[in-house]
Amino acid sequence: MSELALKELLYKMADDQLIQGHRNSEWTGMGPLLEEDIAFSSMAQDKIGQSLALYTILHQLGERDPDTVAFTRNASQFHNCQLVELPNAEYDFSLIRHFLYDTAEAIRFEALTRSSYEPLAQLAAKIRGELRYHTLHANTWIKQLGSATPESIERLQKSLAYALPFALGIFEESPYEKEIIASGIIEGEQKIKEKWLAQIQKILAQTSLYLPDIKIIQPIVGGRIGKHSEHLQPLLDEMSEVFNIDPTAEW
Amino acid sequence: MNSLDPRVTRLPLLDESVIKPKSALDQFGTFEVFVEPKEGKPFQHEGCAHAPNLEMAYVLAKEAFTRRFTCTSLYVVDTCDVYLSPMTEGDKNAYDSIPEVTDDAGDKTSFEIYHLIKRGKQHVHAGSVRALNPLSAMAFAKTTLNTSKIVFNIWVIRTDTIRFTTPEEKDLWITLPEKKFRDASEYKGGDKLKNFLEKTN
Repeated sequence: MSELALKELLYKMADDQLIQGHRNSEWTGMGPLLEEDIAFSSMAQDKIGQSLALYTILHQLGERDPDTVAFTRNASQFHNCQLVELPNAEYDFSLIRHFLYDTAEAIRFEALTRSSYEPLAQLAAKIRGELRYHTLHANTWIKQLGSATPESIERLQKSLAYALPFALGIFEESPYEKEIIASGIIEGEQKIKEKWLAQIQKILAQTSLYLPDIKIIQPIVGGRIGKHSEHLQPLLDEMSEVFNIDPTAEW
Repeated sequence: MNSLDPRVTRLPLLDESVIKPKSALDQFGTFEVFVEPKEGKPFQHEGCAHAPNLEMAYVLAKEAFTRRFTCTSLYVVDTCDVYLSPMTEGDKNAYDSIPEVTDDAGDKTSFEIYHLIKRGKQHVHAGSVRALNPLSAMAFAKTTLNTSKIVFNIWVIRTDTIRFTTPEEKDLWITLPEKKFRDASEYKGGDKLKNFLEKTN
């Protein structure tokens, strides 16, 4: 398999984790209750740590060092899906995004435990506990608030309808899709999407929420090839502020 | 247009009947959190978490109580399901106030027993007994778990009211030893400040 295909896969996964981690960290100090504030912040740290592990693999493949890669690229050089760059608004949206995104990530990394590319298989095995907690957290909240009050149900349902077209963009196929599948690195976006749909349906079935008809939803894609919403560049500007003032700073 | 000057336009007077005191217990209940610091070490009480139910308490307690120091497991129980003996001090053992078991006929169930051995420290799991109710559980513990050490307080929890970590969930903490950045001492703030001052002076 070409190194280009492998790097494309690593970049999109690393960028997803970094941007989602940064967005989740914006809730630090402002979570709806103390324990949840801590939990959401911890998971944000986990995601940034996972992105560091992926950027480190890329560095070993000849890419620039993780800090440079994370802090010096422009929006058009990022390969994350658009779902993760959307700004936080109310907590219902952040929870729905967390549920949709982390379900997909858990399935992706579970598949990677069987990857022919050893560094990814090792990373997937190592972080399985973190991913288990992230999905446990998401599922428990969705089951709780998805069955609680008319207001909580309505708000989650509205956020679900808004987030779904973006969530389908997680599975935007790579130009190297066939190559990646054939080489046994990962089973491919379509398979991951099928498992994801089954899993989110399983959780939603335990709530008063319903899954809109996926077949008539147009996925919002483009993130994997550097096409982003207007929200990504301001996020990157803020995230890289300290690095740009003093690239040697430690904090 | 109404004036924005508060001396001219005042807030409307409120009818006193619409102002009510905040109702009691209008927030989440509490759940007690126990942590296993190392494989094979007894679980110890760490504090409590607020949550709407037992499962949410488990999810929220996990990061609130086990995001820094290494541990191998955690469990939670509704505070209402914890039964306490009277607290003692000095050389008085809490078990002294627990009556002997008089009637133990009936369907017994499992209870977890916790001891407070040092005032100001946590309650630590001492063992399990089978009994009819919390009081008889303490009475059984008096004969089976009461050692030479003075116990200042006893807690009893019915085992089936606890949300334990399942065997599959034991991997929740496997990367915790690597997260030393969550410990303030890892920032080495003093060293950084010293270097900065040396550089700037």
